[in-house]
Amino acid sequence: MPPFKLHTPSSLDEAFEIVKGLKAENLDYDWIAGGTDLLPNYKWHINTKPHVISLSKIKILNKISKNHIGAMARLYDLSQSSEIHPLIAKSASLVASVMIRRSATLGGNICLDTRCFWFNQSEEWRESIDYCHKCDCGTGADCRVIPNQNTLCVATYQADLAPVLMCLGSTIHMASPEGERSVPMYDFFKLDGITKNILLEDELVTHITLPNDISDWEGDYQKLTQRDSWDFPEAGVAVSWKKGVTGPSEIRVATTGIEPIPRFHAEESQRILDTWSGENSVEELAESIRKSVKPVLNTWFQPSYRRKMVKVLSRRASKGLLEM
Amino acid sequence: MSSDDEMVGYRQQPGKLPFSRPGSGGKNQFSKLRDIELIPESQGGKKLQPRGGHRHDKLISGSSIGKSTALIDSKWKVTGKANYGDDIRLNNELIGKIVRSPHHYARVLSINVTKAMELEGVIAIATGSDAKNSFGVLPVTKDEHAMAIEKVRHKGDLVACVAAVDESIALEAVRLIEVEYEVLESIHDMRKGLNDSKNPIHDRGEYHIGESNVQKRVFQEFGNISQMIPNSVANHKSNWIFAGVNHGFTEPHAVVANWDPSGRLTLYTPQQVPHYVHRALADVLQIPMHQINVYRTFVGGGFGGKSDPFPHEMCAAILARKSGRPVRITFDREEVFWVNRGRHPSRIEMDIHADSVGRLCGVQTDALIDGGAFASFGHVTTYYNGVLHTAPYELGAFHYTGARVWTNKPASGAMRGHGAVNSRCAVEVGLDDIAEQLSVDPITLRLANLLPPYSATITGFRITSIGMRECLERVKIASDWDKKFRKLPLGHGIGIGCGFFISGSGLPIHWDPNKFPHATVHLKIDMDGGVTIHTGAADIGQGSDTVVAQSVAEVLGLPLDMIRVRSRETDTSPVDLGSYSSRVTFMNANAAISAAMEIRKDLIVAASKITNTEIEKLIVGDRRIFDKKDPAIGVSYLEALHKAQEDRGALTSSGSYRTPPMGRAHKGAAAGLAPAYSFSAYVAEVKVDMETGQTKVLEVWAAHDCGKALNPLSVKGQIIGSCHMGLGQVLSEEMKYSRAGQLLNPDLLDYKIPSIHEMPKVNPIIVESNDLEGPFGAKEAGEGPLLPILPAVCNAVYDASGIRINELPITGDRLYKEIEKKCKKLKMNDPLNLPNPSLKYSDLQSTLLNRASEHSKRDMDRILSEEKTPYHNGALFGMNPELPGDEQDSRWEIRVVPDEEYLINPRLAGSAWKHVERRKRSDLS
Repeated sequence: MPPFKLHTPSSLDEAFEIVKGLKAENLDYDWIAGGTDLLPNYKWHINTKPHVISLSKIKILNKISKNHIGAMARLYDLSQSSEIHPLIAKSASLVASVMIRRSATLGGNICLDTRCFWFNQSEEWRESIDYCHKCDCGTGADCRVIPNQNTLCVATYQADLAPVLMCLGSTIHMASPEGERSVPMYDFFKLDGITKNILLEDELVTHITLPNDISDWEGDYQKLTQRDSWDFPEAGVAVSWKKGVTGPSEIRVATTGIEPIPRFHAEESQRILDTWSGENSVEELAESIRKSVKPVLNTWFQPSYRRKMVKVLSRRASKGLLEM
Repeated sequence: MSSDDEMVGYRQQPGKLPFSRPGSGGKNQFSKLRDIELIPESQGGKKLQPRGGHRHDKLISGSSIGKSTALIDSKWKVTGKANYGDDIRLNNELIGKIVRSPHHYARVLSINVTKAMELEGVIAIATGSDAKNSFGVLPVTKDEHAMAIEKVRHKGDLVACVAAVDESIALEAVRLIEVEYEVLESIHDMRKGLNDSKNPIHDRGEYHIGESNVQKRVFQEFGNISQMIPNSVANHKSNWIFAGVNHGFTEPHAVVANWDPSGRLTLYTPQQVPHYVHRALADVLQIPMHQINVYRTFVGGGFGGKSDPFPHEMCAAILARKSGRPVRITFDREEVFWVNRGRHPSRIEMDIHADSVGRLCGVQTDALIDGGAFASFGHVTTYYNGVLHTAPYELGAFHYTGARVWTNKPASGAMRGHGAVNSRCAVEVGLDDIAEQLSVDPITLRLANLLPPYSATITGFRITSIGMRECLERVKIASDWDKKFRKLPLGHGIGIGCGFFISGSGLPIHWDPNKFPHATVHLKIDMDGGVTIHTGAADIGQGSDTVVAQSVAEVLGLPLDMIRVRSRETDTSPVDLGSYSSRVTFMNANAAISAAMEIRKDLIVAASKITNTEIEKLIVGDRRIFDKKDPAIGVSYLEALHKAQEDRGALTSSGSYRTPPMGRAHKGAAAGLAPAYSFSAYVAEVKVDMETGQTKVLEVWAAHDCGKALNPLSVKGQIIGSCHMGLGQVLSEEMKYSRAGQLLNPDLLDYKIPSIHEMPKVNPIIVESNDLEGPFGAKEAGEGPLLPILPAVCNAVYDASGIRINELPITGDRLYKEIEKKCKKLKMNDPLNLPNPSLKYSDLQSTLLNRASEHSKRDMDRILSEEKTPYHNGALFGMNPELPGDEQDSRWEIRVVPDEEYLINPRLAGSAWKHVERRKRSDLS
C-alpha cells in the first residue's frame, strides 16, 4: 500500500482545521470511516492520496437512535440494534461478511465507491488495459465497458443501505468547513460513476435522520449475490409501504447494485398505488422496475440476468404488501 | 549384573555405579498389551475382515493404524509456529519483485534497466539472458524459462526481476525498467488453437504439429467400435463447457534463495515436488545438483498448484547469486493467478450408448483442453481426460479423441483430480440421462455395470481392490434415496455421481522404474529409542509425515511421539517423486513399512537372545516384545534396542517401493496406470430457486473407498475438503475472461470460492476394500473424493428442475437461462409451473437388479478366492474373460492413430489430427 499520513481528529472542528492546513499546502486527502472500501482500493493504488483523515475518534458521529444514525455507526451495531427500524437492521446484516460489518460504517456504506471489473484491479492490471475513465492516471483513458464515450462512468453502485434509507424517507446530513446542509436521501446521489453524489470538496456525511412516522412503515429488502457472504449485491431492491384501510396508503421502491447510483422509483410506485389491485399490481410494479433499470456488463452476473432478477426481487420484497 | 559382564575390555573404578540406561521417552512408563480390538482376525484378534486378510496383518501392533490421529505437525500450525514460505527470514535479505508482461503475446525487443539500476537500494536485476536453459515439469515438454527469452506468452508472463533492500524500492525499480514490445496477435479461444497460426505460441521443432497451437493430441479406440451404435437403444449426447478453475490455496507462492559461503544454494519453498525443482535449478543455474539444497517449508495448501518447478523460484536463485544476499519473493494473489496451473478450461463432447439389456456398449469422448501458455503437466492431462473414465464400468467400446492447445492465458496444469474431473462429470451426467431414457434407477444401472475386483479395464489398466459397489449401496441407504429420487417437489432434488482415480502414478516421470524405486524411506534409531524417519515425501498439509510416522510406529509398536520425521531438505531426505497423483500414502507408507520391518527383525532377534525364546513366538506390542502365548516373557523395547545396538551403534535401515510391472504396450498405455485405484459415490441433495436459477446444496452423502483408513480423521477431512473444492467448481468458481482475453477476477472477492454459508452438511462414509498391495490395505483419499461431487450436484439439479446443465459453474445466470428456454419451449410464463422429472420403472429395472445381485456375489467370490482368475473388460459382452478383447476378436482391435476415414469428419479435438507433424511433412524436406 502506498504510504500516507493518518490524521485522527476528535471533533469535526478539529477535522476541518486539518483540512484547512492541508489545503493551504495544496495537499490532497481522503476521509476514512471503517476503511473497508478505501483501503482495498489503496492497496490497488486506486486514486490514492498522501493524507487520510480518520473519523473514528469523533464521538458525535457514533450515535444510534430511532430517528438518528451517525455516519460512524458500525453496520454490525445496526444489524444488532433493536432501536432502529428493522428494515435498516436487516439490510445492514446482509452487507459483506461479519468481519467487515464490525468495521464498516453507515456513512462509508452510503458513500461506497462504485465498482467495475475494469477498475477494481491492481495497478499493473489497469496499466495493461491502458487504464480506464474512472482512474485514468492522467492518460485521459476511455471507458472500457462502453467504449467511445468518456463522459459518463458506468461503474456500478453496490451498497445495500441507500435503497432502504430512501424507502424509509430518510434525510442525509452533511458538514464542511463552510457549514452544514441536508437533503432527502433520494436527492443525495448524482448520476455518474465518478461523481456518485452531491458531496462537495471537503464535505462529509455526518448522520442521517428518519421521519417521526418511521414506525408506521413496513418493508423488505432483497438482494442478489453469488454467495451468502462477502459478495457485493449484483442487484438489490427495497420496497416499503404504509398500511391503509384497504391496501397500502403509500409505497416506495428503490434499487441498488444495477446502475452507477441507487435509484428511487417514485413514478413507478405512485402509478401502482393509484391503481392498486393487489397481486396484479405487484406484478405490474415488478415489471415496471425491471424495465426502468439498465445494468451493464461490469460485475459478476450477466446484465440481462441482473435486470430480470430485479423483477423477481421486486416481487419478493413486495410480498408483505399482499398480506394486509 | 556383575561388573565383569558390563565392562569387557575396560576397567572401572571400584564402587562406581554402572552406566545408566536412557529413558524410554514414551507417554507412560508401563507398556500395555496389544489391543485385541485392533488386531485383525487373521492374527487371532477381534478386528473383522470381511474381505479377508492382508500381508501386513502380522505387523499390526495396535499402536496407531486405524485410529483417528491429529496430524503430527498440527500443533505447529494451530499455535502459529509453523514457518511457511514467506515466514523464512534470513539476515541481510533482499526483496525480489517481478516485471510482468502487460501484453497477451508479444516479442520482447529490448529491456533497459539503466534507470532502475541507478535507484538507490536496488542491488541486482536479472533478465532472460541471465538464464537461457529451459525447464518444465515433464522432460518431454521443457518449454519454460526463468524469464522471457524472446517472447512473452501471456499477460503476467515474467520479463525481468529485481532485488532491492525493501519492497517499495523493488516496486519502484520494476516501474523504472523499460521494456519495448512488438505485440503479436494473441489467441484466447481454445478452438482457435487448433488452427494453423502465423506465430505459434511455442515451436516444437520437428515435432511441431502442423503450424498449429496443438501441444498434444491423443486418439484411442478400444473395444467393439463398429457395433456400439447399431447395438444402442439409448444415446446420450452433450457438449460441455467447463470454465478454468484455480486451486485457491491459502498461501500464495513464496520463495527464499540463499547462497552460503561454501557456494551452495539453499532454496526455501513451499513445494509439492522438491525433487523436480532440484533438477530444474541445476539445469537453469548450470550447477550440479549436489550444490543445491531444496528446503520445503510448511506448505499452505498445494492441490497440484505447487507441483511444477516455477520461474519465480529460478528468479530468486538468480538474484541471490547476482547480489550475494538472500532474496525473498512473495506473490500477491493476482500473481498466483498469473502462474495458475489450475484445472484446464475444457470443451468436452460426450456420447454414451447403452444396449437393450442396459449395458454400456460405447463411450465416445472428445476433449479439447485449453493449456494456456505452457505445457506444464498437460501431456498427461490430455490422456487423463480420456483414460480415467474407462472404469469403474465395463464398456463395450471406448473412443477417445483429446487435444491440448496453447493459448495466451496463464498456464493450466494439475489440480486435485488431475484431468479426470471434467470428463468424469460428463460421463456421470450421461449415465443419469441414459438411466432416464431406459426408465431405470441410475444407481441400479451403475450397480449392474461394474467391473469386478482384480480385473482389467478396456484400456488394460490393472484394477485390484474395488469398493465401488459398497460405496453405492451405502450412500443409497444413508441418503434415503428410494424415498427421494424423482419424488421430491419442483425445486428440490437429489442426484448421484461416482468417481474413479489413480492411487499413485505407475511410472516415475524422470527415471526408469526398473532401475530406481518410486519411494525410499530411511530409518535411524539411536540409544534414546526415538525413531528418525528420512523421507522425501512432501507434507503439503495432507498429512504425509503423519502417515509415514504412523506406519513406522505401528510396525515397531511405538507411540507416535517417539517418531520424528525429517522430510524437509533434499540434503537429508532420499529422492522422492513428491506429492502428486495421490501416490504418497501408497508408495511412501509401503517403503516405510519395509524399512521398519528390518528394524523390527533386529529387535526381535535381540529380544529372542535376551529371553531365550524362539523368534517365531515373539510379537511386538506397545514398547515391548514378548511371547504371544505368555506375555510375561518379554523385554522392553529399549532393552531389545540396546541389545541390538551392541557392536554396531545406531540401528539404520532402508526401505523402498516400486510398482509391479503392469499395463499394456500401445502408445499412451502408461498414462493412468497405477498400482491401485480409488472409487467413490456421492449423493447430493439440492434446492434450486426456479425463479432465480440459484442452487443451494443442502446435504451430501459421500462414500469413498480408500482401501483402509490409516487415519480415519484425516480421510474424513479429505472427503469434506474435496466436497468443498468440487462444490466451488460446480457452483461458483470460474476464471472469468473478457472478450479480449483479460482475466477479470484474479482476486478472492471475485473468484468465488464457496463460503461457510454455501457449505452443506457432508456425511463422510469410509469404505475399506482392503487393497492387497496397499500399506495395511490403504489406497488414496486425497483426490478421488473430489470427482463425484460435480456430477452428483448436476444430476440433483436435474432432479430438482428438469434442466440438464452442460456448462460449469452452474451460476444463477446460466441455470436461469436454461429455465427460460424450457419455459419458452413449453409455452409457460411461470417457471414455478414447470413439470419436474418423474420415473416409472421399465421392465429393464428388474433385469438390472438381477444382474447387480449376481455381480455382487461374483465380486465377493473373487475377493475371497485365493487364486484370482483373470477378468478382462468385455466379459459382460460375451467375450472370454481370460484374454483382452483385441486378442480374441479382430473387431476389438486397438487403434491409437486415426485413419483417413475418421479425418473426413473429425470431432472438435479430433480435428487436431488433421495436422501433420513437421518431421513427417513432405513440403518441408
